[in-house]
Amino acid sequence: MASQAVKRTIKEVKPILSVDREEARKRVLNLYKAWYRQLPYIVKAYDIPKNVEQCRERLREEFTKHDHFPDIRVIDMLVIKGQMELKEIVNVWKQKGHVMTYFKDSLEPKPKDFLSKFLSGKE
Amino acid sequence: MASTLLRTTKVLSKYPAFTKLGASCISTSAVRNTDPQIKNDIALLKPEEVEHKKKLQNYITVEGTTDISTVTGIPEDFIKERRVRIYEPAKNCMQSGTSNIGHWELDFDTRERWENPLMGWCSSGDPLSNMKVQFATKDEAIDYCEKNGWQYYVQESKLDKKFKPKSYGVNFSWNKRTRVTTK
Amino acid sequence: MLRITFTKVLNGAKLSPKHIYVATRAQSGEVKKPEKVEVFIDDKPVYVEPGTTVLQAAAMIGVEIPRFCYHERLAVAGNCRMCLVEVEKSPKPVAACAMPVMKGWRIKTDSEMTRKAREGIMEFLLVNHPLDCPICDQGGECDLQDQSMAFGSDRSRFTDIEFSGKRAVEDKDIGPLIKTIMTRCIHCTRCIRFASEVAGVDDLGTTGRGNDMQVGTYVEKLFMSELSGNIIDLCPVGALTSKPYSFTARPWEIRKVDSIDVLDAVGSNIIVSTRTGEVMRIVPRVNEEINEEWLADKSRFAYDGLKRQRLVTPMIRDCNGELKPVDWEAALLTVAKVIKNAGSQVGAIAGGLADAEVLVAVKDLLNKLGSEALCTEHTFPLDGSGTDLRSSYLLNNKIAGVEEADLVLLIGTNPRLEAPLLNSRLRKGWIHNELQVALIGPKVDLRYDYEHLGDDAKVLKEIVSGRHQFSSKLKSAKKPLIIVGSELLERADGAAVLSAVQTLAANTPSQDKDWKVLNILHKVASQVAAFDIGYTPGVDKIREGNLKALLLIGADEGAIDKSDLPQDCFVIYQGHHGDQGASIADAILPGAAYTEKQATYVNTEGRAQETLVAVTAPGRAREDWKIIRALSEIIGAKLPYDNLNEIRCRLEEVAPHLTRYGSAEEANYFKQAEQLAKKIKIQLDECTPIDVKIKELQDYFMTDAITRASPTMAKCVQAVLKQKQSKY
Repeated sequence: MASQAVKRTIKEVKPILSVDREEARKRVLNLYKAWYRQLPYIVKAYDIPKNVEQCRERLREEFTKHDHFPDIRVIDMLVIKGQMELKEIVNVWKQKGHVMTYFKDSLEPKPKDFLSKFLSGKE
Repeated sequence: MASTLLRTTKVLSKYPAFTKLGASCISTSAVRNTDPQIKNDIALLKPEEVEHKKKLQNYITVEGTTDISTVTGIPEDFIKERRVRIYEPAKNCMQSGTSNIGHWELDFDTRERWENPLMGWCSSGDPLSNMKVQFATKDEAIDYCEKNGWQYYVQESKLDKKFKPKSYGVNFSWNKRTRVTTK
Repeated sequence: MLRITFTKVLNGAKLSPKHIYVATRAQSGEVKKPEKVEVFIDDKPVYVEPGTTVLQAAAMIGVEIPRFCYHERLAVAGNCRMCLVEVEKSPKPVAACAMPVMKGWRIKTDSEMTRKAREGIMEFLLVNHPLDCPICDQGGECDLQDQSMAFGSDRSRFTDIEFSGKRAVEDKDIGPLIKTIMTRCIHCTRCIRFASEVAGVDDLGTTGRGNDMQVGTYVEKLFMSELSGNIIDLCPVGALTSKPYSFTARPWEIRKVDSIDVLDAVGSNIIVSTRTGEVMRIVPRVNEEINEEWLADKSRFAYDGLKRQRLVTPMIRDCNGELKPVDWEAALLTVAKVIKNAGSQVGAIAGGLADAEVLVAVKDLLNKLGSEALCTEHTFPLDGSGTDLRSSYLLNNKIAGVEEADLVLLIGTNPRLEAPLLNSRLRKGWIHNELQVALIGPKVDLRYDYEHLGDDAKVLKEIVSGRHQFSSKLKSAKKPLIIVGSELLERADGAAVLSAVQTLAANTPSQDKDWKVLNILHKVASQVAAFDIGYTPGVDKIREGNLKALLLIGADEGAIDKSDLPQDCFVIYQGHHGDQGASIADAILPGAAYTEKQATYVNTEGRAQETLVAVTAPGRAREDWKIIRALSEIIGAKLPYDNLNEIRCRLEEVAPHLTRYGSAEEANYFKQAEQLAKKIKIQLDECTPIDVKIKELQDYFMTDAITRASPTMAKCVQAVLKQKQSKY
């Protein structure tokens, strides 16, 4: 079966944006701040049924979800993706529905435990 | 953040006149033949930015296997619930050619297919069902799976055959059971 | 992650792993290694054993010479001439498949002369080969197609100004499995060689010569072999194709899933080809330790049974005594209620197609409920060491080991029909290794000569005591094997038989230390796994148990009847086919067949292998262990595994070898087993002659729920019966 032994190897790789952890951290904080400051405008411009506080909570959640990556290249990629998302919102390339998908309100929760999965025909 | 990302381009665009001027001084053929001594973009950067740029050309070290599953864009349940099989394909028994074997492959577990009510064609909700990646070695395949955060297992094949020289003569041996009677 | 072909080019066609075997495995057991000969293939030196053919030598360094008639598992025929290559200083090109290399030969596999020879041969072949590739079933996986693209001429000289047409040959009728389009035949004679060497049925041959040569059966008759399907694979063109598969799918639209066959206890490796969620065909997959690259007809053609007689929805018997479809919730609640009320008076019988996952889930559930009434449908002696020591119920010397034997004693078995691929190994040994075979049991047709010692149990006793003339042969053999049919051990005096055989095996010396004389040949795929997990063989426990609920896990052989059970016993059938078991059931829980689940099976050698999901189960049917897992939660005795990984961990806990896929765990404790066997009291019943159920080919095709539902298998039985009446 899946014997996924983690190999403790050190590799030399090309960096993407940051050359060390400190720099990557700065980039993340910068991105976080940019989002944080933009939130009131988002709520207003998109007229979403959420207040700024809820948005901040969601923002924090999104950032803390990814707080464990050892590889700074992955952090950089996430920062780039976050930057893209922000830009799409600022330039109103997204619409209200797109913004609301961050909250996954309309998403029907999938069955989690074995029995409901079995009975719903998912397993 | 945005400013850090876009600094280089911004700095350049601040001095359009300067770049134009520099270009117009020298004839175009000269530009083509000789590299400029100092690159424009570097010349305009601050010293620490130049340092950073140099560092970016070098290598950094990362420890362990990198898990790129968060940046690939593959939905989470497709990563967590799938089982990847790494195996060595056997020869197609219908044919004698062997050029398309001798490597390792990975594929995913089979998911449901159904008949599409519109045309009666076959539908599937599984984009990964068409993914068969070939690797030269088993380890490459394992690394690839680990990088993508997939659960994998390795299926070893028993393809090694004991070597025995073939002989045309045994068809005609008079005291062995290999003698061929039917033609 | 370079594409393989690309890497090969980069490395200058360096050795790929498949070609390395030569160096590592070549004749390791030989006393004296002959001097190696150096030859040059395309100027690359290679050292080979003397006697190696040019084609083999080229294969060692990864150069593949095109061929039609040559097949590495058949005798060399050398009649297609496609493998002609140039040898330096030889005036004519040589046939690589038949020519042994000489020292210092420089072989050119891609020279002008070689290419011209190939082009010429291709042209000759195509003069009389029809251009019906678009409607040919072989199209897309045809050697002739591929090789004409690679080595043929790019233009045609076939003008046919007389409009005489190409050569045409009448099609032959050789049975319900193989379709012949003899006009396509290129006379490679692979089918003939397979029939006479591997199958041992010398029915195919050629008539006429030159342009009038035809391959056929001389008179119209059925190709009566249990391995007949393999000639479909062997045929390099579309002359022999599969009748059930004809015109149903194309090779490029098919999805191939590697799996394991479970219709006998050999556990042949197969590839299940599917399209649109339907199994289109089953072909063998190479596994040198089990089936080489052959497959028995039952395993290959019974897949249409997977589409008929299926249980697709849960059912409960209503007050009128009729089975009515219900949904899973209702079915599980009803069954759970019954089992809860039954308390510890609940039993289970595992049939021949049950996988290890469901076996362990059912055992865990019943043990949690306080019951130990877990039985297998097929019985096995429990006296002596019983099923406690693995060595007493396994084919200990492995299937591939049979080839090396020099003397085999078959007792109460008909390997040709119980395990056709084991029999093909025996035949291989008989041809190439001067193997001697003797048989105690009914005189059956094994397709090779054997010494029939009679079907009397007395003979066995005499051999054990050393009074029989055969005993001395057994003693003097270098690598003797004793293969006992599991059916013989199902007799009332099975324990005595097993004990006698164990004693005999212990007293039979062999030269090799690792050689295991005692071998048991099972008939069904689930048996070994069931014993490993701890099921009790035979249904006696169920008969005596006074049960209130009985769970049948694909038990369809009618080992137990309604009359054996108490009046109020509630029978639950879990399985995939509406067969014997479902007909006596009060509730039916539809399970998945072997092509529809990722499940573990252990073959008769004790080798764990897993099937993979090729298609999803039809209707509301679910994977078997999941049904038990869901049921356990409703009963209130929740089993602690939710997904495949977790149940595999449980399997590993019970018996670690069950998850070591592909490798056969060695069994030991032969001595202890023999000593325990000596203590049993049952006497060998000398009056009942030793018998086997499957004696003739017509008995072979329909033996379990899947094959009984298969129309192709029914046609085979009809065809064999008809052939038996024919004068040929």
